Amino acid sequence: MHHVLILGAGTMGKVHAAAYAEMDDVQVVGIVDSDYERAAKVASPLGAPVFASVDEALSTLDYLNIVDICLPTFMHKEMVFRFAEIGIDIICEKPIARTLEDARGIIDFCREKNVKLFVAHVVRFFPEYKLAKKRIEEGAIGKPAVARTFRGGIFPTGWNDWYADFNYSGGLILDMIIHDFDYLRWMFGEVERVYAKSLLGRNLLRLDYALVTLRFKSGVIAHVEGSWAHEGFTTRYEIAGQKGIIDYDSAQETPLVMKSKKDGKGTGGVAVPESPMKKNPYYLELEHFLSCIERDEEPKVTAEDAYKAVEIAVAALESTQFGKPVALNSEEVHPRV
Amino acid sequence: MKIGIISFAHMHAFSYARSIQQIDGVELAGIADDNASRGAKMADTFQTDYYRDVDSLLGTEIDAVIVTSENVHHVDHVIAAAQAGKHVLCEKPLATNIVDAKKMIALCKENGVILQTAFPVRFNTSIIRAKELVEAGKLGRILAMKGTNRGTNPGGWFIDPKKSGGGAVMDHTVHVVDVMRWLMKAEVNEVYAEVDQLISKEKIDDCGILTLEFTNGVFATLDCSWNRNKTYPTWGDVTLEIIGTDGTVSIDAFAQKVNVYSDDKGLAWDFWGDDMDFGLIQDFVTTVMNKQQPSITGEDGMRAVEVAIAAYESAFRKKPINIG
Repeated sequence: MHHVLILGAGTMGKVHAAAYAEMDDVQVVGIVDSDYERAAKVASPLGAPVFASVDEALSTLDYLNIVDICLPTFMHKEMVFRFAEIGIDIICEKPIARTLEDARGIIDFCREKNVKLFVAHVVRFFPEYKLAKKRIEEGAIGKPAVARTFRGGIFPTGWNDWYADFNYSGGLILDMIIHDFDYLRWMFGEVERVYAKSLLGRNLLRLDYALVTLRFKSGVIAHVEGSWAHEGFTTRYEIAGQKGIIDYDSAQETPLVMKSKKDGKGTGGVAVPESPMKKNPYYLELEHFLSCIERDEEPKVTAEDAYKAVEIAVAALESTQFGKPVALNSEEVHPRV
Repeated sequence: MKIGIISFAHMHAFSYARSIQQIDGVELAGIADDNASRGAKMADTFQTDYYRDVDSLLGTEIDAVIVTSENVHHVDHVIAAAQAGKHVLCEKPLATNIVDAKKMIALCKENGVILQTAFPVRFNTSIIRAKELVEAGKLGRILAMKGTNRGTNPGGWFIDPKKSGGGAVMDHTVHVVDVMRWLMKAEVNEVYAEVDQLISKEKIDDCGILTLEFTNGVFATLDCSWNRNKTYPTWGDVTLEIIGTDGTVSIDAFAQKVNVYSDDKGLAWDFWGDDMDFGLIQDFVTTVMNKQQPSITGEDGMRAVEVAIAAYESAFRKKPINIG
């Protein structure tokens, strides 16, 4: 039985708690959040206690073996260090850290303390994303040439509006399209150089948009589009190869649409689309991490992968800031962006 | 009004010829083509006269010509037409280098003939509607754009740089760059591009992603790749995303289609929207009849070519290139 303490009852904390609730071999031993009301809503269906602080949780709990960090990015390092120090295995939301230095520090410290570190790059667990990789590996589209991804929607709202503070979140590029950077790197290998443009630093209120071009060592050219300028939330990809094309658009994925006459306020029903699965990608991801702990195995997405994803994002931010392509080289010291 | 066509090397000549025949009072008066069998066949198809050489066609009583020869021949054909006093609609890209483009513009001006660049996408009804929305201020201030003009590798002379001047970047940069410039009334001042030959076996660029900066501070990207494969349901696309302070517009210029599933061809998207080529020809005819300034000038054609050329230079030097 795993004893998991969840830090943060925001969007991801809630999603992870719901996944753990479905698992037989997991007991959520508590949820830490400074907002008691919000945490209680997540904790009560699990019968788990709410703690106002990590201190309170650690002084109250008899036992835990995993901490699941679902906190804003800039808090990751402090929390990882806190729990690694006492030998607790760590699941941490993406991005692993706000800066490359912090990411390296986190990885090194966990290794030093001999605790496992899993970073939740969940896109690798989305069946529609896994499928494209599988088909490409099988040769369905021949050698890949040009890939395009989209991820975005409305500007996110979080605790203390931390997404809107670049120093806390790293903005759209580090917080969101890092998913696509990791996914593309998973498929096409290492990135050679990055060129990017974004609205960052233009003093626009709750609006961001980024267009990033990645050139892979394998030759593939990828175009990553991220938006906090649209409505709703959509993801898309298209990969064109020498012999074919594979594409996906979440907006076209409508296995079930419910329309209620009652919700429509006399103007026709409000459509509520769903794409139901027995196990959602977050469940699959956490289940995989737990299995890696049990079997002492390497995860499908390693902490080093998480570092590499931050490296691409930081290069994109640097390119945006300085208006030039940025070559990726881990040995090179990048200016802090 | 009488119009001649110089060369059917570019397949757009076919729909331009058809458009001419649909307009009352306008006659397709002759076709010149250095490829005799193609020229004769087209003359037969469109019930008009065939001329082996360009000068013979230009020596007839025509008012204007459409130049749809191989890209590198645009310069000679446009200049010959100008010197013969014929108005010109020239297929895109206007030229394969800036020196030629400038010469074409100067000689048309000197000879008092209209030079219009064939950018039919400006006549796509969804694009026109987007311009109305932008001009009505519905999007607030424009911040960014993202375009695609993908296609199928056309083969033939298109993949011979000596005739085309370049591959996908030369072929597919200019349409959407022109639309972006037109929508914003701004010029491109910086180009970065990743360009390569990743699909075809022939030594020609077939994949490209350009990043553009405009004089009004807007940034944009454009995918000009020839990467639609044989079983893709259509030849390619023109799409444009516009991000503004007050909203966004997503244009898929050929989304007005029905799905046809046939055992022979698999799935095909059958377009039923307005014919933009007809819009272009109608506009050119009106311009010539009224002897007015063309809606799309030679300079517009040259500006778009300039971006394509800068894209090649950027890809070669691996850095952004300033233009304008």
